[in-house]
Amino acid sequence: MALMRGLAALTACWLHAGVASGQSLGVEVTQSVGTSSESISAAGTQIRVLGEALPGLRWNVEGAWATRSRDESDVFGTAYPYEGRAELMEAYGEYHFAPGRGLRAIKGGRYRTPFGISSASDHAYVGFLRPPLIRYGEYYALSSGYLEHGLDVVVGVPRLSVEASVGVSADVGPAIRRPGVNTVVRAEGMAGALILGASFVDTTPYMPERFARGRSRFGGVDARWMKGGVLVRGEWLGGQPFDGTSTTGGYADLIVHRPVMGPVTALVRAERLAYDAAPPRALYSHRYSAGARIRLWKTVAASVGIAHQAGQITQRRRTAFDVGLTGSFRQDYRAHP
Amino acid sequence: MISVLSRHTTARIFTAVVTGVALLAGVAAASARAADDEVSGVVRVGGRSQKDVVVWLEGVTATPPPAQDVVLDQRNLQFLPHVLAVRAGTRVRMPNSDRVFHNVFSFHDGKRFDLGLYPVGTTKAVTFDRPGLSRIFCNIHPNMAAYVLAVDSAHVTVSDRDGRFAIAGVPPGTYTWHAWRPGNHTATGRMTVERGRPVEIGWP
Repeated sequence: MALMRGLAALTACWLHAGVASGQSLGVEVTQSVGTSSESISAAGTQIRVLGEALPGLRWNVEGAWATRSRDESDVFGTAYPYEGRAELMEAYGEYHFAPGRGLRAIKGGRYRTPFGISSASDHAYVGFLRPPLIRYGEYYALSSGYLEHGLDVVVGVPRLSVEASVGVSADVGPAIRRPGVNTVVRAEGMAGALILGASFVDTTPYMPERFARGRSRFGGVDARWMKGGVLVRGEWLGGQPFDGTSTTGGYADLIVHRPVMGPVTALVRAERLAYDAAPPRALYSHRYSAGARIRLWKTVAASVGIAHQAGQITQRRRTAFDVGLTGSFRQDYRAHP
Repeated sequence: MISVLSRHTTARIFTAVVTGVALLAGVAAASARAADDEVSGVVRVGGRSQKDVVVWLEGVTATPPPAQDVVLDQRNLQFLPHVLAVRAGTRVRMPNSDRVFHNVFSFHDGKRFDLGLYPVGTTKAVTFDRPGLSRIFCNIHPNMAAYVLAVDSAHVTVSDRDGRFAIAGVPPGTYTWHAWRPGNHTATGRMTVERGRPVEIGWP
């Protein structure tokens, strides 16, 4: 809660001081509650303060507090951890060089590990109430709670760019990587409605050293295609969580929001995960999910989902029903020249 | 002979110069009057100044300038401006100025479109070819919302954060005004425009 109080105080100070000429400030607050047939209930709050200090210089601070009644499942773990304490998720400054000369940006601070489809908004808000298996901590792949304290550079043109990040682990959630330097390289290209990406990460494992030796290395490809309110996207990755093991897996999403559907967005996901290790530690699972996100009123939305899975991944029931309610609020302050 | 021709030539040149100067003076005076032809004022709701109100006029006979592209930016996970007013037929360019993807769409009244995902540095455009209100959203960021109101008038503007507005190219006269603000509140009235005299419109 100290973090939340700090963020609130920072925001209040800024507003009290006034937004100087040329600056802008936006404050987003998102509240979520949910329950699952796995007898798990959850509640979370996310605060994001973002703005533009000078032309081209953006900054973003995001904090979250969330809790749930039990931890024996990955339900509600999409965007931030549900561990009952406030967490600073991101805090970075980013400079965008002048447009018209290609795409060039540099980011420094605390930010999500830029591997694959990694933006919080990609994972949190479309309506899925569970993270992809390859994105949940403790499943021997990558965690959506992986964060870097580092420097990130993007160069290219809007339709083809390369991103490189060097940092040290600053993770939140159940999977906390051991100290060490991490590097991520990502290339992304766009052709028509198709966006393709390829990523590689070399990092420290999150497991204890006595159990996991060596480095954690993953390569992955991701794709997004969208047209007429139909989004197809997916990720596939493979690599070693540590020496002598391997993990492969991925997911494919179909997200449909057509005019005739009004406030309803329909979701379908198929995914699998295979962690090859010496028995009995090996882990194989696949899961099929379907659901909907329903905008009830302005920025209040309900999410419903059903997840059916087989395998050894932690889920208290083979088929689970999840329901969530999210309300968000945004206030903008902008200086007029 | 040469001196006669010279006198004729001199007279023609003199006439041309005088005519040109007179024409230029007339054009300059007309331009100055046109520049002065502006209606400005403030929008109030219940006595308080109101931002983001679209104000437009009917019956202005002055020739409007050709419609130019306008910009609805996506920056810091919001649309800028929040309320945009255009003349029907205007092309609105919607650049993505954020490092994340955006997917701009409008499914309800007004112009219906879905621009799909596009990255930072790219721009897509929509022509609002008919009058109507379009509610603009991003499919990925639910807090992003904007209004584009296309009207059948070239004399349209949006009030600033102090409720002030100004519409150029409106000579003195009496006109019908219309106003709209988020929440679908509309108002209509008559105003008399006098040069240099601000007007006040709005809701009681």
